[in-house]
Amino acid sequence: MTGPAPTASNGALATTPMVGQPILRWSSRTSTIDGIEAELARIWAQAPLTTEGEHGEPERHVAARTSVMNLVVIARRPEIGEHAAAVIQMLAGRHPSRTLIVSSVDPDGPSWVDARIQAHCVLPRADAAETCAELIALSAGGECGRHLSAIVAPLLIHDLPVTLWWPGDPPLAAPAALELLEMSDRLVVDGSAWSGDGLDRLGALARIVADRNLGEGHVAVSDFALLRQSRWREALASSFDRPELRPFLGDIRTITVRYAAHRGAGAGDTNVIKPLYHVAWLATRLGMTVAEPLHPRPGPDDPAELGPPMAATLRAGRRRIPVALVPMESPTPSGTTLAVELTARRRSVDLEIRVTAEAEAVIVRATLDGAELPARRFHAPRRTEVELLAETIESVGRDPVATAALVAAADLGGRG
Amino acid sequence: MTRTAAPPGTPPRTIRELRLERSGKRRHAPRVEGNPLREGLRLERVPDPHVMVLFGATGDLSHRKVFPALAQLWRTNLLPQDWMLVAVGRRPYDDETFRAEIGASLEQWCRVKLETEEARQFLARIAYHQGDFTDDAAFDRLTARLDEMDREHGTHGNRLFYLATQPSAFPLIVGQLGRCGLDHEVHGGGWRRIVIEKPFGRDYDSARRLNREVGKVFRESQVYRIDHYLGKETVRNLMVFRFGNGIFEPLWNRRYVDHVQITMAESIGVEERGSFYEETGATRDVVQNHLLQLLTLVAMEPPATFEADALRDEKVKVLRAIPVPTRADAAHNVARGQYGPGWVSAQPVAGYREEHEVDPLSETETFLAARFQIDDWRWSGVPFYLRAGKRLPKRATEIAIQFREVPHRLFRDAAVDPEPNLLAIRVQPDEGILLRFGSKVPGLGLDIRTVTMDFTYGSAFSVDSPDAYETLILDVMLGDASLFTRADEVEAAWSIATPIVESWLDAPAPEFPNYAAGTWGPDAAEALIERDGRRWRRI
Repeated sequence: MTGPAPTASNGALATTPMVGQPILRWSSRTSTIDGIEAELARIWAQAPLTTEGEHGEPERHVAARTSVMNLVVIARRPEIGEHAAAVIQMLAGRHPSRTLIVSSVDPDGPSWVDARIQAHCVLPRADAAETCAELIALSAGGECGRHLSAIVAPLLIHDLPVTLWWPGDPPLAAPAALELLEMSDRLVVDGSAWSGDGLDRLGALARIVADRNLGEGHVAVSDFALLRQSRWREALASSFDRPELRPFLGDIRTITVRYAAHRGAGAGDTNVIKPLYHVAWLATRLGMTVAEPLHPRPGPDDPAELGPPMAATLRAGRRRIPVALVPMESPTPSGTTLAVELTARRRSVDLEIRVTAEAEAVIVRATLDGAELPARRFHAPRRTEVELLAETIESVGRDPVATAALVAAADLGGRG
Repeated sequence: MTRTAAPPGTPPRTIRELRLERSGKRRHAPRVEGNPLREGLRLERVPDPHVMVLFGATGDLSHRKVFPALAQLWRTNLLPQDWMLVAVGRRPYDDETFRAEIGASLEQWCRVKLETEEARQFLARIAYHQGDFTDDAAFDRLTARLDEMDREHGTHGNRLFYLATQPSAFPLIVGQLGRCGLDHEVHGGGWRRIVIEKPFGRDYDSARRLNREVGKVFRESQVYRIDHYLGKETVRNLMVFRFGNGIFEPLWNRRYVDHVQITMAESIGVEERGSFYEETGATRDVVQNHLLQLLTLVAMEPPATFEADALRDEKVKVLRAIPVPTRADAAHNVARGQYGPGWVSAQPVAGYREEHEVDPLSETETFLAARFQIDDWRWSGVPFYLRAGKRLPKRATEIAIQFREVPHRLFRDAAVDPEPNLLAIRVQPDEGILLRFGSKVPGLGLDIRTVTMDFTYGSAFSVDSPDAYETLILDVMLGDASLFTRADEVEAAWSIATPIVESWLDAPAPEFPNYAAGTWGPDAAEALIERDGRRWRRI
């Protein structure tokens, strides 16, 4: 192989650790897969992890490597890789794991590998051993970069679960992606960051969810876009905790989601994954099926609306429930949910619920038969990528509610 | 014999009736089902709307623990929307002045600060009710007020009574609640639950008396006796660790375990609670409840289900398998101590007898070490050493399972014999689990060195553990009694602790103080374990 010359900027970095603050404990560089393995072994042979034992004798805390998982990040652009590394560094110590950030560059050039091997450690308390996580940032050039699974496979800690985080626009239907999914237990994506309206990728994601042949059975799928909405779901669910309002769940008449769009964006330019997930989650929880998938509807009805809404129809028994996704002009990033509105009617009594969110809270307003019920404000901060990744890699197995919502969303988007 | 058709509205009982109902041929009034939107969320079931009645609302415990826990549950949306709190106290507040005081105290004690709007919404749910616990009229007014709240807020007659008062007021309040009929769970008219704070009695007789008083008014299933230790995350995880892992349970018995040590060390002294501690002492304060609870969780058999009574049945069995100590047992198997002046965390500290509101000739124990035996098939012959004390070198609570030595010493040439394996479960601080084992030192020789595998919760899970009070209050609201002590359990624990305390009454005055603050207790504690050829684990 050619490419950057092998380097040996190796060794432990002596720094005084601060409790709870991740620090870089080791950094080295190499240009072969075998070299990476050798460097990894060296970290654990040399790092200063000796503490005093029970009877005063020096004692090694093997604990420093209570590895729980492998995390593989596919970064198709260097800046995505750097961003992912920054996020993962915040997790060091909380999730001892081996992380591989793989990016392929210059596919038509010669084959080469360049890897930076680091150990980030955190001191949980002053008198404890440091807990460390290994991070391998690997760039592969040329032909080599097209066979990502061949790079990843030898570098995984065996017998540990593999989570594949694919930020940006993953080519989910490509053979290279399927090869990587073969060795994964969980795929993590962010549907709200996909380009265009995101519906085609959503369809591919739903097919992965349904594919029993990937990995060891089903691959679990986590979408940050869906996880982020948990505060909305809590707020909506809490509206129906009151026993007298619960029966209205069987008589939902309309579902409307308003989302941010920017002036000048063409049809299909705004990502609608988030608004779609709200509807899909409600539909699956309430036993509704898709009668008519998403399609443009004449509009707008309101001058504040930006362009024609998208409409769909759900079915619950013999009733049909109209759904509208309404773009609204807003300074927030496009595709962000602005409001979820439900109307229900039971025994001539009307119920309207409107949920909105701020950075730190979700607000629920409801009117029952025209009378306003006291508004409720729930403290529920918008979650950061670090928190979402932490939650994702801590979750075990498939979440049936999320899986059902994801499949229903693809159906609703006409890509099921 | 022919069976006449059941009158309309009767619930189905026979196979035919049940089958017809299932096939939809016999219609019943629709029942309010669970909330389908809750499935998969953080809390799949939320508490029913209810009114919580807090007695002793102006007291220290309410300010420091109960209100902050409720505020935290409120801000994270875990309380029902139709939730109200009536704070009952003797002091002359009205709703507004009491709310202002709670608002100020939340600022001080909440683990996460409330935003202004959140605090306003939470405080708006609190009403103050002034009254003396001996005053019938005050309770009659309270009853009327609760009924009114049901009508106004749709709380459906569900009531949660929380007794955070001095223990002497418990029978009085329970009696008044009974007199007003506030304990009655009318069909369809809501549930009634009562939470009783520790200490539950101060000896076996008083605990029995209190149980009887409470039992005259409330059924056992309505009573929740709080031992906040059981709400701690590690204590709850102890059950998961034991019964959710296949590799430990086969070793968890007399065949493999040499002995068990349970330590609860505090570095603080009695602080401002001198007069309380004078009457309590370490045995009543922590051994009878927290330490014996930890012991039962370590020693109990796997329950058949994870339901409250199945769990508590097993815990009671353990307590009943501990022989009630005789006077001779207490003298032989218990060591008590009291701290004198010394140094803790590089600070000079006063001795117990010099503390505020403490008798200069006090005989109250601030330290207790004891050796217990559990006479059952699993643990026969395995001693359980318990120790608890104040002004010890550090704050640490830990359960250590010391395994037996290997049956045959294979590595005779090694410089040091390998130490027996040890599994330590740290309850606080830095909750975690540590496993000690021997490993060969690299080299040509055959030296063996003890190494530890140390798992810290904080390093594996990013979610903050909830405060024990948050967990427990939410459990009461949901009607889950698993983490609360049952009447027979409290009595069984007192039946072990009471003879120990009583044995001291006839003994000569102890030579207190007998340990310096900042040390690991009196020499007698060392002697107690060294006599068996063992030693306390250095923590």
